[in-house]
Amino acid sequence: MSKLRQAVPVLAVLGIFILLGYPLALVFGLPLAWRDMQDLRKWEKETVTAQPLADVSDRQTLRFDEGFESGVLVYQGEPLAATYTQDGATVMLETPLETVVMWGATLTPVGASEHVYTVGEAVDAEDPFRAVYVGDRLMREGSSPPLQLPDGQRTDFTFRSPDGPILVDDALIPRDAYQTDGANVIFADAPPFGSNVRRITGDYAVLDASDGSFYVVTPPQAEIRLAADVIRLAEQLQPVSGDPHRYRFGREKVFDNDRERLLYVNDMPLVDQNERPAERVDGERREFLFPSERGIVTIDSVVMAEGQSYTRDGTLVRFVDPPVRNARVRQHTDYYLTNPDAGTVLLAEPPASDAVVWTSRYTVYGEPGCGPNVMACFLALPQHPVPFPHWIAASAVPFVQKFPLADERNIVRATLYTTLGTLAALGLGGAIGILLAIAFVLFRPLERALLPWVVASQTVPIIALVPVLLLILGNFGITIQTSLLPTAIIGAYIAFFPVVVGTVKGLRSVDPLSLDLMKTYAASQLQVFVKVRFPAAVPFFFTSLKLGVAAALVGALVAETESNNRRGLGFAIIGQVQSGNVADVWILLIISALLGIGLVALVDLAQRVIAPWERT
Amino acid sequence: MAFAQTDHSAAQDKKTATESVSEPVIRVRDLNMVYRGQGTETVALKDANLTVDAGEFVSLIGPSGCGKTTLLRLIADLIQPTSGELNVAGMSPREAREARAYGYVFQAPVLYEWRTVLANVMLPLEIMDFSRSERRERAARLLNMVGLQDFHKQYPWQLSGGMQQRVSIARALAFDPGLLLMDEPFGALDEITRETMNDELLNIWQDTKKTVVFVTHSIAEAVFLSSRIVVMTPRPGKIERIIPVDLSYPRNQETRESREFFELTTEVREALRGMH
Repeated sequence: MSKLRQAVPVLAVLGIFILLGYPLALVFGLPLAWRDMQDLRKWEKETVTAQPLADVSDRQTLRFDEGFESGVLVYQGEPLAATYTQDGATVMLETPLETVVMWGATLTPVGASEHVYTVGEAVDAEDPFRAVYVGDRLMREGSSPPLQLPDGQRTDFTFRSPDGPILVDDALIPRDAYQTDGANVIFADAPPFGSNVRRITGDYAVLDASDGSFYVVTPPQAEIRLAADVIRLAEQLQPVSGDPHRYRFGREKVFDNDRERLLYVNDMPLVDQNERPAERVDGERREFLFPSERGIVTIDSVVMAEGQSYTRDGTLVRFVDPPVRNARVRQHTDYYLTNPDAGTVLLAEPPASDAVVWTSRYTVYGEPGCGPNVMACFLALPQHPVPFPHWIAASAVPFVQKFPLADERNIVRATLYTTLGTLAALGLGGAIGILLAIAFVLFRPLERALLPWVVASQTVPIIALVPVLLLILGNFGITIQTSLLPTAIIGAYIAFFPVVVGTVKGLRSVDPLSLDLMKTYAASQLQVFVKVRFPAAVPFFFTSLKLGVAAALVGALVAETESNNRRGLGFAIIGQVQSGNVADVWILLIISALLGIGLVALVDLAQRVIAPWERT
Repeated sequence: MAFAQTDHSAAQDKKTATESVSEPVIRVRDLNMVYRGQGTETVALKDANLTVDAGEFVSLIGPSGCGKTTLLRLIADLIQPTSGELNVAGMSPREAREARAYGYVFQAPVLYEWRTVLANVMLPLEIMDFSRSERRERAARLLNMVGLQDFHKQYPWQLSGGMQQRVSIARALAFDPGLLLMDEPFGALDEITRETMNDELLNIWQDTKKTVVFVTHSIAEAVFLSSRIVVMTPRPGKIERIIPVDLSYPRNQETRESREFFELTTEVREALRGMH
């Protein structure tokens, strides 16, 4: 009962530590989440494309999946001449069209599966203009990757959509090979490192582009056909008031390095030919030759005004002030995306007042890749430097079960291996420590000669010494792969020091009267050592041994990090750090700490047995 | 060794033998002890002369620094004199120490904390190679004598100061030395415990017929215990006077309250004061 009462404050402190883990996890994790959220490279990219007709049966009232603020109907690469009114995703034509679709290949089923169909030839998996119809109805392609990257070990993934079949590298994963709880999916086998994991969210997905095979989620009741061309609703760019050159996309945060962006004025495609000058920008030259005779000239992405900053003479551009050395001087032939964030473009030639400026395809940044807000990004962090305590607890069981007992990486075996190494190190270090201490007490000159070196030995960083020691021992055929000896020597190297110091102090701790008493018995030196000095040194010895055992553990762990024999906690820690399993590193940290506490307790127990006279 | 291993009666035989030729157990002649420090010299004992006969209980009394502990340590060969002649049991102090001629009781109990009470008493017997059964038998008998038979399994820290000092006395007697050197053994004890200890020590002395040299700074203790009191004075430490104590035996509480006791304490006190 009283023991229980003693444990209460200790457990309370443990509880406080665990609770402190939560704010600490947020303090360390939220800045990382914020950084992830700001990183445009990690944002989801969305391709805004002209929408194919959703239902090809009606040729007067055209319905699309989604409308554009200002849409324009296009067919065969140019805006439709017909008159129509648009209401969101629905367009009403004044007179019905003769054709709204030009049919391409018909898809045929593959094998007995009701889900897999093939075009019979290779298709472009990324083709945004592909339109597949079941009968007259448009099928939507869609798949989305999980929030986490496959690292070869992770089995649990979170998807944005709560259902749908799952593909890994275009192979369909059988339903019994994973468990799913809404958006969370746990695989029986971890998907390979860097594999393409996705969940089909639309009506179909391209399985294998090289043979044109498709996976259709719902077995179709009618013929499946590819459209070679179909009426589409495309986005029309709006003029920015006051500047005939300047137009605006319907979406902001336009991806500026988009090589597949397609812009048209009526049926004329525009290109952003990013031309370099023929000459080097050396800081003195004013005149540069470009391949084309027209375009928007920029220096370091800043648009230059013709007539003010430069004059043009055919393909020769003459600057008023020479561009500074190594400045990026470019000519953009048809248009230039001046402000990607606002989505504004500058056209080299102002279009006619009745011309339609439209786009069939461009890419924008959609959402931060990690999630819609900082907390979602925090939860989606691939690695938390300080995980929530219950995450550590939750990964404990899978961690322990990760390797079977037959595998030397099994955590129980690793712990035992490290324990053995530590005990060997402690035994060796303790023995060396005791012998040195006795020698020092018996021969003072020896102490004077050696003690400075003993102290100096501890100033050598163990981490620097380990490779050298391993090299030396390796020359004698003693390797950490085959023998505990290197571990023992390395651990002993740091464990012997407290033992020497403590035992010397203990052997000298005998009070002068005790020695006088032995003198009155005419006791021999040996008797004095055995009967007085040794027993007097025992408590000191054990106290120093407790320091020594902690040092031996450090030595053993450090030695194990240098080995590649896959054994011991030290190896496991390095391995988990390298593969970035932070929660597992924390578990190993806790196991190492518990091992240290356990070993100190073991020494304490030994002390109680061997030196029971100590009052506690 | 032979001396140490003689049993009780043999020791008495030896004692009567030494008495018959009136060989004193301790003979101190013109003994000087000077401690030399860095540039300083402290005369701890100057021209001391003293003879202690077998069976005597001699107390050395005096204030701090009068050399009484120095004299005792010289007798025990724990330190060596600067000059003069010193004989212990008819031998040089060193020979006497090596022959284990005396038992020494320190001011502190000096018990080994890792040994039980019994093991502490057996310590000198282990060192002197007594047989295992002999050790047990003697230690048990002595613990019985000092009234600690029920505490033999305890460790020293579990005992009171008085009990610890009793263990230390039992230990000094364990190998049955003829001479007992005691350096203020009850100095750290309270008055009541000290009187009890005095009664016990007197009984032990009378039972075992040991020769005792006893250092104290308590006048009452000296008078109560001693057959002779050596009064010493400091700076330099020397023997001032030797006062014989002719109080009758058995001495007990009544003795302490008697007129003779009072007169003797007065005499010692005046001798101590006379040095000023």
